[in-house]
Amino acid sequence: MPHVDLPAIIQAYNDAVFDTDKDQAFQIVDAALAQGLCPEDVVFKVVIPAVEDMMSRITQDPDANLAQHFMTAQIAAEVTEKMLPLFRAPPERIGRAVIGTASGDLHSLGKRIVMGCLKSLMVDVTDLGVNVPAERFVDEAVRLDARVIAISAMMVHTATGEQGSLRVRQLLRERGLEERIRIVVGGAPYRYDPELYRQVGADAWAPDGVSAGKVIADLVRGRPPTP
Amino acid sequence: MTATSFVLTVHRDGETLRVSHRPGLSVREILDATPLRVRAACGGSGACGACLVRWQAGPVNPPAMAEYLKLDAGERNAGQRLACQARPRGDAVVVLEHPAPPSPWQSLPADDLAEGPGPRPGWAGPPLGLAVDLGTTHVRLALWDIRLGKRIATRRGANPQGVFGADVLNRLAAARSHPARAEELLTLVRQAILEGLRDILARDVGEVTPMLAEIGRVRLVGNSAMLALLAGRGVAELLEPGNWSRPLACQPEDEAVWRAAWHLPHADLALVPPLAGFVGSDLLADLLAVDMLAAPPGTLLLDVGTNSELALWDGQILWITSVPGGPAFEGTGIRHGMPAESGAIQGVAAAAQGSRLDVIGGGPARGYCGSGLVDAIALLRREGLLKASGRFATAPGAEGYRLDPDQPASALTGADVDLFQRAKAALAAAMVHLLGAAGMHWRDLARLHVCGAFGRTLDPLNAQSLGLLPPLPPGRLSTRPDASLAGCEILLLAEDGESRLAEVAGRARCINLALAPDYDEAFIEHLRLTPWRDGFSAGMGSDYN
Repeated sequence: MPHVDLPAIIQAYNDAVFDTDKDQAFQIVDAALAQGLCPEDVVFKVVIPAVEDMMSRITQDPDANLAQHFMTAQIAAEVTEKMLPLFRAPPERIGRAVIGTASGDLHSLGKRIVMGCLKSLMVDVTDLGVNVPAERFVDEAVRLDARVIAISAMMVHTATGEQGSLRVRQLLRERGLEERIRIVVGGAPYRYDPELYRQVGADAWAPDGVSAGKVIADLVRGRPPTP
Repeated sequence: MTATSFVLTVHRDGETLRVSHRPGLSVREILDATPLRVRAACGGSGACGACLVRWQAGPVNPPAMAEYLKLDAGERNAGQRLACQARPRGDAVVVLEHPAPPSPWQSLPADDLAEGPGPRPGWAGPPLGLAVDLGTTHVRLALWDIRLGKRIATRRGANPQGVFGADVLNRLAAARSHPARAEELLTLVRQAILEGLRDILARDVGEVTPMLAEIGRVRLVGNSAMLALLAGRGVAELLEPGNWSRPLACQPEDEAVWRAAWHLPHADLALVPPLAGFVGSDLLADLLAVDMLAAPPGTLLLDVGTNSELALWDGQILWITSVPGGPAFEGTGIRHGMPAESGAIQGVAAAAQGSRLDVIGGGPARGYCGSGLVDAIALLRREGLLKASGRFATAPGAEGYRLDPDQPASALTGADVDLFQRAKAALAAAMVHLLGAAGMHWRDLARLHVCGAFGRTLDPLNAQSLGLLPPLPPGRLSTRPDASLAGCEILLLAEDGESRLAEVAGRARCINLALAPDYDEAFIEHLRLTPWRDGFSAGMGSDYN
């Protein structure tokens, strides 16, 4: 078996992700597979650590830009999708989340970053799309046995609106689901006011899409949200 | 930009303004497009004698008849001229001792204006007509003599609703929050239009109040949100995404009340309705101005503004959409960003040491307008200071990187570049989506029109190097800075304006990108600061196989 230089692969892959260079990232993955790295290791030893590495780099680095957020998630999701069919046995899934944008909100990009990260973190995620009514969030979460409802809102009036997260909380309460299903919110308004997530009845929030992946994965696993 | 241009230097109270202009214009015409205007009350016929300037240097035409009537020999020998009569014949220097009081209104550059549809001898109504392009950032006006088919004057001023936010959604939300806010927003913009109109009447006609009664026809185009705020109708509807693909009613309910509020007792006043909640009548006006239905298939039109709107003609269907993401091109959100006004860096060129800034008015730079931003980022990319990801190769620190070390306002930060990337990716993804809808590749594009003020000084090669525009040969690109106003003028003046508008609307098919599944992926692909690739129209998938 040829020699696999895992630290070098990780370094090269992380640099490609940092530079938002998807083509380069795929070339590195190809080369790693050719060297003999198995698809499982590509996902668990290269891709997932890279997401976590980017998460800490992005949160500590004031110069991190949106392209880096998107590409981190996009590359992670695409590589994971390519690798999964090549696994010897289907990987163990952590659980499921449903995700969508709040009623009245059509900004779908933030949610996309979160989904990309969740896929690579082995969380099954169902995309309910944009402008999702509160009832649909709850109905689908129940039907799919999801542990987390993730609601993205990019405008103040959709974050705080009566048909958004507030209404989802009310429905969970009415149906006695509050212990089973958690609400996670994200989007620009929550960054301006870090306490806003409480006002809209959410259990947790995240300042960016990459961190949201981690917050949601923890809640799906049943870990309490870190304040 | 014309090949030959002269520079007029104007001194005023220790301040100096430099304006480049094409040959043949009068000093008044040159200064009307700047904040430093001469006094005037006669429309440039020489009858009022208010526009005195002192000639200091440079070739100029000899004094005209009007100047012999208004100036005595002593004044003429001292170099006094009427700005409306004096036409520089090369680089020149003048002193302006008594400028007009500062005004937010300026004339549109003469080069930007279309010819207009011609006289209408049969017109029997009051003689004057007003075309208004109501933009989120700027309001543009043109006053016409309808029967003669003659444009009397134009103006451009800021939309005063900007105090409620640069974003249309903020303004709509404010209007919905309380009827008093809605009334305030409506009044602000109505007053602004009236003010611009009064400025034209005072300076270019010579009488104000009596002339308001001579205005027989007003046509307004604008984006849906601006029209809804002005009409006081449809605001709540626009905040509901379900309505964005539907036409919007924005006609005033009681025209008599409107005429009274506008002080235009005899005007037939109409807001040209938008095509859909997210596609305004400003885009329809653009399409009339470029005669889109007569254009070759594969003609793409971009109107880059606070909201960017796009239309692609495939010979049968007019594919139309809009994207957010224009504000960066108008300077909003950029640390040292500003509209294309005096002090704005409108271009950046490489120089032996660092770079050379092209600043409007020639003074110290106050910030970047859209075209300067494109040039600056393209230059940083070429010199390897900026990576394709949008990150600086070496972090420039909190203050940012100065393109000109002596000019603090030439600094660009990583956040500025980030915002630019989002704007250009949104625009590119929208283009890709329309091409996909029409089954075309970007190489099939026969013509690309860039409308809006942004296009005026845009360097296409720099825009292409960053992936802001597809890499078409230069001959297929054209810029139409005031196309919306030109289209509105057609609706104001041409007898077949309405029917042409109906034809355009009949061919249109609107696409709401918020519901397009492939848009997000195209957006992400286009965030990188690299030229478009061959594969960008087809499939959009990764190259991994």
